[in-house]
Amino acid sequence: MTRRFGMRPRVMRALTGVAWREYLRTPEAVFWTYGFPLVMALVLGFAFGEGRQEPAHVGVVATAPAGTSFAEKLREHGGGRLHVEVVEESRARRALTLGRVDLVVRGDAEHPAFELDPARPGSELARLLTEDALASVRGEPRPVRATIEAVDEPGDRYIDFLVAGLIGLNLLGAGIYGIGYNLVLMREKHLLRRLAVTPLGRGEFLLSYVASRIVLAMIPPLVIVAFAWAVFGVPVRGSFLALLGLFLLGSFTFCGIGLLVGSRTQSTETVSGLMNVVMLPMWLLGGVFFGNERFPELLQPIVRTVPMTWLTDAIRGVMLGSLETGGIAIAAAVLGAIGLLCFCLAFKLFRWT
Amino acid sequence: MNERAGIAGRGGGVALRCVGLVKRYEDVVAVAGLDLEVRTGECFGLLGPNGAGKTTTIEICEGLLAPTDGTVRVLDMDWTHDATQLRSRIGVTLQETRLFAKQTVRELLALFVALYDDARSADELLAIVALEEKAGARYQHLSGGQKQRLAVAAALAGRPDLLFLDEPTTGLDPQSRRSLWDVIRRFRDDDGGTVVLTTHYMDEAEALCDRVGIVDHGKLIALGSPRELVSSLGAAHVVEVDADGIDAAFDTAALEALPGVVEHACTTERLTLTVRQPHVAVPAVLRAVEAKSLRLRGLSTRHLALEDVFVHLTGRHLRDGEAE
Ligand SMILES: Nc1ncnc2c1ncn2[C@@H]1O[C@H](COP(=O)(O)OP(=O)(O)OP(=O)(O)O)[C@@H](O)[C@H]1O
Ligand SMILES: [Mg+2]
Repeated sequence: MTRRFGMRPRVMRALTGVAWREYLRTPEAVFWTYGFPLVMALVLGFAFGEGRQEPAHVGVVATAPAGTSFAEKLREHGGGRLHVEVVEESRARRALTLGRVDLVVRGDAEHPAFELDPARPGSELARLLTEDALASVRGEPRPVRATIEAVDEPGDRYIDFLVAGLIGLNLLGAGIYGIGYNLVLMREKHLLRRLAVTPLGRGEFLLSYVASRIVLAMIPPLVIVAFAWAVFGVPVRGSFLALLGLFLLGSFTFCGIGLLVGSRTQSTETVSGLMNVVMLPMWLLGGVFFGNERFPELLQPIVRTVPMTWLTDAIRGVMLGSLETGGIAIAAAVLGAIGLLCFCLAFKLFRWT
Repeated sequence: MNERAGIAGRGGGVALRCVGLVKRYEDVVAVAGLDLEVRTGECFGLLGPNGAGKTTTIEICEGLLAPTDGTVRVLDMDWTHDATQLRSRIGVTLQETRLFAKQTVRELLALFVALYDDARSADELLAIVALEEKAGARYQHLSGGQKQRLAVAAALAGRPDLLFLDEPTTGLDPQSRRSLWDVIRRFRDDDGGTVVLTTHYMDEAEALCDRVGIVDHGKLIALGSPRELVSSLGAAHVVEVDADGIDAAFDTAALEALPGVVEHACTTERLTLTVRQPHVAVPAVLRAVEAKSLRLRGLSTRHLALEDVFVHLTGRHLRDGEAE
């Protein structure tokens, strides 16, 4: 007798095997899940990781009185931290817009005029350095500036922040692509239709499919953590077991969202749009590449709703000790609740055809 | 003995019954009030032009689509109450399916085998459709015909009582087609199974099906054994006469005056007659051709085939539609 809503271990095993082989025999998919976060960690880790400071780029307008020699002087007095070039008046604005220079200087050492984009992070530094250099050109003493201690201890660097974001993105991809997109692909190929006319139960199918993907999705985050530790010395300060639990929970939540997205969408074109709608706020507001606490008040409700925020916060909490145990537990509970809700909805909405 | 064999045995029962089946989409009526009865143990063929509603009908019977109106009983059960039971007793190939691309033939069959509580083994299935050589090949690397055979093997995995095959031999070479016919015949004769299939090949329907139904515009317009349908035209032979300028020489009255002619069609070079008795009609035609002093270039006669019935019936429908 077939149990429509019961789970037959034989069926679950067979489907899990199919799902694993299907993934492992697709080298592109394996590359994207493993290669992408590691390359990203390397590039971003090295780009923002070392204590090196980029010089500030300053453009001196050529028509200014004594344009070229003024530029020479500025360069001399800039102490190696100013990269000075001469620009045509007609090109000055464009150089600024394109970010080739952080600051445009007109006039001379006595009456300088700056042009800059205050919203750009480098422009304040460029202004400070240029003012220092101008004071030096005029023979005035340099203004007193406090000594600077560079933050490059493990645990406080950008790479330490980034690792949790990369793990979050990886789990998100596994859920949305691995479950959501693939499900729609299977529907589009009429493969789900074919399975629907067999005694395969909806529960048997969805659970074994999702479970096999969740297990697979647990591996890349572990690789990322190991890689970040080996290459950058990124620490795991809290409990490793708690970290594992968070990976599982994050995977569960995103798989639930993926399942919901793919539960009855008919074509891969439609689901691609839907996936972007789901993923974009997570990428931008989820605390992946940069902290999201300073986003405008208006956005904070969304920031606090996207599961990615809770996941990256909790992972950082465990890895870097930046969150109390209570905070981690709350984040875990929120993730679990969102995941469960998505699963129940998806199970109700799911269609074979 | 298997308990099912008793139920499915050739007791003259009805394996499938559709009454007043209707399937309406927003702007099309795919099935427009179709009645159908398939007897236990027979091979039934659904024929009809593209878009006639064959796939829609068959998918309603498989429980994949809900009809807008009408009832379906399959193996004495219906989809609202006995879906689980039914799914374990039917085998299906869909008109268009792609399975898991990266799995091998054997792995795919093993999956289908696992889905049924009483199933054939993967090896047995491989042997039935003669795919042993390809057992280790991935689905994505199979030829179209090999995929079709695999689909039929998968349909047989659960020892079904009723097999639904939607265009199972489309795209197959003549050899593979005949070997698939054998698979289907063995299922019917040795396992006592019932088959409902669709096809666009009239020779296939003639060779394989005990009875056929011709569907057009969502309705059943003819039903019977291929032989019955052919004789229903009231003629059994086609005579073709080739001669230049033959259409000018014979007007309608002249053609109808020929003995035993049921239907006629004429082009500048060829006169096609459907006749009851060729031994009466042919000499008369030849005399007429000689009388008009035309130069005869060819003459052939053949038995009427199902294809002629099909064209006759569905062609007429098309004209009816245009006349409106
Ligand atoms: N989901 C759908 N939405 C709208 N119209 C549909 C849908 N499915 C089928 N149709 C229409 O219903 C009609 C019958 O389609 P069906 O697939 O049953 O034809 P068929 O007899 O199987 O044709 P073929 O020989 O080409 O396979 C067609 O006109 C088709 O366009
Ligand atoms: Mg069809």
